[in-house]
Parts: sequence; structure tokens; C-alpha cells
Amino acid sequence: MSTFLLMTITGIGLGALYFLVASGLTLIYGLMGVLNFAHGAFLSIGAFVGLWFATSIMKEATIPNFILAMIVGGLAAGFFALLMEQLLITRLYDRHIDQVLVTVGVALVVGAVLGGWFGNDLRLFPTPLWFLTGINFFGAIIPADRIIYIATAVGLLIGNWALLRFTRIGLIIRAGVENRNMVNALGINVRRAFSTVFFLGGFAAGIGGVLVSVYSSGVSPLIAGTYLIYGFVVVVIGGMGSVTGSFVAAMLIGVIKQFANYYVTGLGDFVIALLLAGVLLVRPQGLFGKRIS
Amino acid sequence: MNALELADVSVRINQAQILHGVSFTAPKNQVTALLGRNGVGKSSTLKAIMSLYSPTGSIKLNGTELIGTPTHAIAASGVAYVPEDREIFATLSVKENLSLASRSKISSEKMSRVFEIFPDLSTRQEQRAGTLSGGQQQMLSLSRALLNDNQILLVDEPTKGLAPKLVTEVADALAEVAKRETMILVEQNLALVKRIAQKIVVMDQGKIIFEGAPEKLSDSVWVQSVLGVSNRGKHS
Amino acid sequence: MTLRWKYSRYFLIVIVAALFAAPILGTNPLSKPGLQQTLAVAFVFGALALTYDLLFGFTGLLSFGHALFFASGLYLTCIFINHSVFVWWIAIIASILLTSLLAFLVGAASLRTTGITFAMVTLAFGEAGHVIVNRNFFGLTGGENGIALNAELIPQIWVGVVNTKYLYWSALICLILTYLIIWWVTESSAGRVFAALRDNEMRVQVLGLNTRNFKLLSFVIAGALAGLLGSMMLLLAGSAAPRFAESNITIALLLMVILGGAVTRWGAVVGGIAYSFLTTRMQDLTQNGLFAGLPKYVSGPLSEPAFLLGIVFILVVMFAPGGLSGAYYKLRLRSISKKYSSSK
Ligand SMILES: Nc1ncnc2c1ncn2[C@@H]1O[C@H](COP(=O)(O)OP(=O)(O)OP(=O)(O)O)[C@@H](O)[C@H]1O
Ligand SMILES: [Mg+2]
Repeated sequence: MSTFLLMTITGIGLGALYFLVASGLTLIYGLMGVLNFAHGAFLSIGAFVGLWFATSIMKEATIPNFILAMIVGGLAAGFFALLMEQLLITRLYDRHIDQVLVTVGVALVVGAVLGGWFGNDLRLFPTPLWFLTGINFFGAIIPADRIIYIATAVGLLIGNWALLRFTRIGLIIRAGVENRNMVNALGINVRRAFSTVFFLGGFAAGIGGVLVSVYSSGVSPLIAGTYLIYGFVVVVIGGMGSVTGSFVAAMLIGVIKQFANYYVTGLGDFVIALLLAGVLLVRPQGLFGKRIS
Repeated sequence: MNALELADVSVRINQAQILHGVSFTAPKNQVTALLGRNGVGKSSTLKAIMSLYSPTGSIKLNGTELIGTPTHAIAASGVAYVPEDREIFATLSVKENLSLASRSKISSEKMSRVFEIFPDLSTRQEQRAGTLSGGQQQMLSLSRALLNDNQILLVDEPTKGLAPKLVTEVADALAEVAKRETMILVEQNLALVKRIAQKIVVMDQGKIIFEGAPEKLSDSVWVQSVLGVSNRGKHS
Repeated sequence: MTLRWKYSRYFLIVIVAALFAAPILGTNPLSKPGLQQTLAVAFVFGALALTYDLLFGFTGLLSFGHALFFASGLYLTCIFINHSVFVWWIAIIASILLTSLLAFLVGAASLRTTGITFAMVTLAFGEAGHVIVNRNFFGLTGGENGIALNAELIPQIWVGVVNTKYLYWSALICLILTYLIIWWVTESSAGRVFAALRDNEMRVQVLGLNTRNFKLLSFVIAGALAGLLGSMMLLLAGSAAPRFAESNITIALLLMVILGGAVTRWGAVVGGIAYSFLTTRMQDLTQNGLFAGLPKYVSGPLSEPAFLLGIVFILVVMFAPGGLSGAYYKLRLRSISKKYSSSK
């Protein structure tokens, strides 16, 4: 029983990391139809800026310092995302394939620049000691860092929901996901919503980057790759454009992967690929996606 | 005084020429009806005005050129658009649809004016717009346009696909609106057109073939160009 | 039009003949095994880019999982030969058949989606393949280090540096074979349907054709050819390694096609050869200290091949959609229109 609990909660913790990547991807896709390969780059930028902040500016690895580093990493990634959107994506308005290609280009450049500057070896991220302790949860000893991942993801989900639900820009984003042209035809510049979404997506990915560095016990330009792919899988299974769908799918995938890996080492990725194929066969639009006629 | 002037407006999409030099004017405080058979380019003309297509030629709103202006700026300068398929936001509530459409802070006075015209909506503010009936969706789409101070309203086939009783309801509402607003109305329902339009513009194959007062339009042209037999050249 | 085609056909034949003869025609750069090897790899990538053009350019399928089939041909052939399951040529045929089956299964699942979702799904399947070869299940794939091909079990003309010219010729033959097959497929009636699908899927559906089956056919043909090229790559590289299964391979293919220009066939081949050749050269040059004089924060990124790749990617998409061949046709068009206006 305690093993079961442990596996479930670690799985949810992993799922939380996937969600941080996927939430931005799914909104960006839903609103603009852009498949953003540079999302992994946002993750890396968040991780490296967070690392720089945590080591150079803050000397001590305390929990408040860590949270600050997380926010700084998130902001850096958010502003980078905004920059990319303004400089490149807006010029390729409605040329979807070209937008994909440009984001691939950005991903390559960022990966190469970070690799060229810092090398591809793992650099240790200063982690508060508390993260390494275990928490007794109904008899299961849960690593404390998992709690942070889950809390951050849930916080982000709630923040996201509140923004979409209660603010005017949220209203514009929701309407824009449904019908961009009509939002424009009501006299609202929908591009402002695009920029907001890019920033928020980058912010979430940047925070994810810092947390992923803790999870993989270090920062490297190479770690973003697998998370980007899992982000895609989560978005497809959850349904493109649905943040809630992404949340559910991310948790599901995290838990399933954890259990599969527990029984046969390395089986997790394979099981997820099968799950993806299965979902596509039964429900091509994803769990929470709208049926495409 | 004309609210809107189109001169030689053409639209190409991919290889297809959809509008071939459309020219007409819509006088201020009048209803101009845009008529023609299916597929002649009525909706496309409205979309061209909204910059939803990229037209060439000239489209002037109170003397200001609209071509090259982005859609949102055109709408913000007072052109309200009620599209053919309503295009309400199905996942948003009625209230959210309205507050999205309102460019200034929504005033209760405007709100009550809209609900006066469409009492059906006032009791359904929290309902998801996608679950409204076709007629109610049309009312919502019209309400979105009426919330703002407009220079001109572009209304595309508001009675399309509605049951006779609803047609009357929407027609009454439009007649009410027509008292205060300038409008270009695309409509197949001739009774409605004759009731509220002060000016008629007839299109055929992407061109204007008649422009003038409703009385001047002979019955044979009515039948020919609106219900569609063939295009026998220009009448004007 | 027909006249131009005639000339370009002769031109093509001359180039191919020259490429065939070069290694044994007196002394020229191509008599050295080093360049032969580099070019042989470039031929394989040129051909691979062509198979990708069938998907992306001709059928309009943006797949990010094409490397899966390349790697599948490569690994299966190597495993079959090393474990003496089949003799080498049956091993190649068997791995092509199995790769086709894999392409069929992956295609059947992925093609339930379209457009951008299709891109994401194929990427996920491609990555699953990469993960699997990296994991060394049952000790078959050798994990991160890959597996070396047992050179005793293949014809000896393919073994050893002195024999590089045979590998070169084999790669050239693979390229020509791929070109002919793709040429035949795209000019056939099925090829017309592929193009129609790309331009307007609805119209094809209206004609009563099952669009998904045609896309699947294109996907399987491209996959099978990629499997063949994987076998060829195995002979060239002498080993099967996870880097051949990376999604970066597919991204590179996409760049080759974009760079050369989609839907022209020769554009993809030239793009692929040029790309592969230049990246190999770049690596040699950086290793020999091309950027030694520059400060570390400049030379670091510059010596990563992905850096220039990414920059070129962005520049081509932003400023030269249509790629090299697009630019070529634009120039031709300009010169033709100039000719007409001056003759008037
Ligand atoms: N996006 C498009 N691509 C290609 N052709 C189009 C497009 N939009 C409209 N058309 C064509 O342009 C022509 C005019 O269409 P439009 O919708 O303006 O007609 P309409 O006069 O509004 O007809 P209806 O009364 O049926 O609504 C039609 O032949 C239509 O098929
Ligand atoms: Mg219409």
C-alpha cells in the first residue's frame, strides 16, 4: 500500500512537470495554431537563468531563494518567448508550417548557444536541503521535492483558470481559441492575446525548467528535449487547446510511466507510446478535445 | 451624405476572382439592401469591407479609406459586423459574448435596450451560447453589434434558416434598429427588404448590376437577378 | 518546355556518368577514399531527403518521425546479419519489409490525425523508437553505444578503406534507385492524388477516394525507401547507433527539403547532398581550429553544427520560402519576362 502511494505521488509529481511544459504548448496551439518546437528552449532558458540567479545572486540555497530563482527563470523564459513571438511568429501570420519551421530553428539556435557556452554536462542546481527530506504521508515516505512540483502545477492551473475565467484578456483568449477572426471583427486586436499567451506559456515552461533541473539533479541544454516530447504527447492525449485536458493527461502519463518503470526498467516510454497510439485510435481529438468534423 | 462608399472593389482568393470591381454607396441613416442570387459575392463584399479578405480598390467610411486597415481597427472605428453564420462564441455564456463585444464598459442602459429588443436573451444570460436555438443565436449576434455606437451595421442574411415566426421576430427587431442606424443588409427575404430598405443594390457574378430606389427596380429584374435566371447587362 | 526537359535530362546523365567514373578516372579529388566516403554519406542523405520530399512536399504530410524508419532499416539489418539470422542480402530485404510494416502501423495510427497534430504524433513515435534503441532491450541494440556490424558476414568488397569506392558506387546506385522510384510514384496516377491531397483534401474526398489510404500509401513508400537507405548507411558507417534514430535527423531532412525547395525532386536531392557535405566539412574545419582566434562565447556556439543550421532555417523560412530551387525558378522567370519585354 505504501509503495502504491509512493508510486502514485511520485508519478503525479512527474506529471506536474509535464503539465508545466504542456500548459503553454496547448494554449499557444489552441489560440494560434502554432506548434511550438521552441518550447523546450524556453525550458532551458528558464533553467539556466534560474541557475545563474541561484548561484551568482543568491548565495544560499534556502526555500525563499529557490522560489525567487524559479520566478526569475520563469520571467526570463517568458520575455524570451515574447521576443520570439514579436520578431518571428507575427511576421508569419497564418503560415502555420513556416511558423513550425521557425520555432524549430529557434530551438536549434538556443540549444547550440547554451551548449556552446556551458557545455552539455549537467551543472548542479543549488537545492534547499528540505527538498531532499522525506515526508511521511499515510505511511509512505514521499520525497519533499515532489510536493513542490505538485504545488506549483496546481498553483499554475488555478492561476491559469482564474485568468481565463475572470479577466478580460482571459475572455479574449477563450473567444480567440474558438474563432480568431470574429474576435478581430468585434474590434479587439487579438494579437495582444497572442503575446500574452506566449509570455505565459514561456513563463510556465521557465518555471518548469527550474523544477526539471532539480528533478534531474542538474541543468543541461539536453534535458529539455524529452520534456518537450512529453509535452507534445500530453497535449495530444489531453486534447489540443484544453488546459484542463493537459492537466489530467499529464497526471495520467506521469503515474502510468512511474508504474511501468517500476515493474520493468525503461518500459515507461514504450507504454506511453502505446497509450498515445491507443488514444489516437479511439479518440483522435484527445480526451478533452473538440471533435473535428 | 454617404456613410460608406465602395469603388472598384475586387477580391481574389487563390486563383478565383470573387469580386470584379464592386462599386456602390450606402447613404447615412438609411438601410441599403444588397441582393443577388446565391454565390454572387454578397457575403464576400461584406468580408472585404471588414478586411477579412484583402480587397483592392477603395472603401471609404465617412471619407476615410479602410483598405489596408486591419479588421480590428475597422470594427473599432464603428463598423459592426453580423456575419452570415452568426459566429457567436459557443463556449462562452451569453453575458460573456456581450461583454466581449462591448468596446466601452458595458452600460446597463445599453444592456436594457438590447434586452428590450430581444427579451429572450435577458433570461438566458448565464446560458452557454452554443446551447441557444438558431434564432436566439441570431439575436445574440445582432445584440453584439447593437451594444456599441456604430457608424454602420453590416448584417448578412439575418433570417437565414429561421422558422417563419422567428423571421417575423427578427424582422421586427431589424425594423426597430433601422430607425436609428445606418445599415447594409444582405437578405433573401423580399418582404423584409421592401419593408425596411430605402435603397437597393443588386449583384450578379461579383458585379453590381443595379443600384437605386426600391421603386425603380422592376419586378422582372427582381425575379431575374434575385431569384436568378441570367444576367442581361446593366440596369441603372 | 519539352526541349528544356530534354536538355536537363542529358545534363543529368552526364553528371551521373561523371560521378560514376570519377573514382577510377586518373587522379582527382574523388580518387581519395576520404571524399568518397563523405560523398557516399551525402548521397544517402540526398536520397533520404527525397523520400521526405515525397511526404512533405508531394503529399503535404509534415512528419517528424521519418528517422524512425531510417533507423529501423539500419538496426534490423545489423541485428539480422550479426546474429546470422539471414545472409546479408536477405537481411536487407527482410528489414525493408519489416520497416514497411512498421511504417504501415505507425502511419495508420498517426493518420487518424491531420496537420499539426500529425506532426506532434509522429514526433512522439519517432522518439519512442529513439528511446527503445537507447535502452538495449534483450541486449539487441547495444544501448547508447550502438552495435558494430560484423564485417565478416558481408561481402568483402564493402570492407576496408581501399574498397571505399565500392561503397561510394553502392550509395550512388541507392540514390538513383530512390530517385527513379520516387519519380515513378509521383508521376503515376497515385502521385497525382498525393498532390491533389496536398492542395485540397476536400476535393479528393468529393471524388469518392479514401484520402487516408492514399496518405498511408505515401507514408509506407517513403518509410520503405528510408529503410533501404538505412541498410546502406549501415554499410557506410559500419555500425548502428542511436544518433541515427534522433528526431534531429528528421529535422535535418526537413531543412534539406526546405533548403532545396520542396516538390522539385532535384531540389531535395541537391539540398540533402549539400547539407550533408557541408556539415561534415564544417565539423572537420572546427576540429582543425577554424574559430580558434575568436572568444569562447562566439566560437562555442559557432562550432555547434546546430547553430548555423538553426540560423539558416530561420533565414530561409523568413526570406526565401521555396528554397534554392524556388530562388532558381524565380530568377528564371525574371529572365524570361525580361526577354519578352525587351523583344517587344
Ligand atoms: N474562401 C474562399 N475560397 C474560394 N472561393 C470562395 C471563398 N469564399 C467565397 N468563395 C466563392 O465566392 C463566391 C461568392 O461567395 P459569397 O459567400 O460572397 O456568396 P453570397 O453572395 O454571399 O452567396 P449566398 O447567398 O449563398 O450566401 C462563391 O462562388 C464562393 O464559392
Ligand atoms: Mg452569403
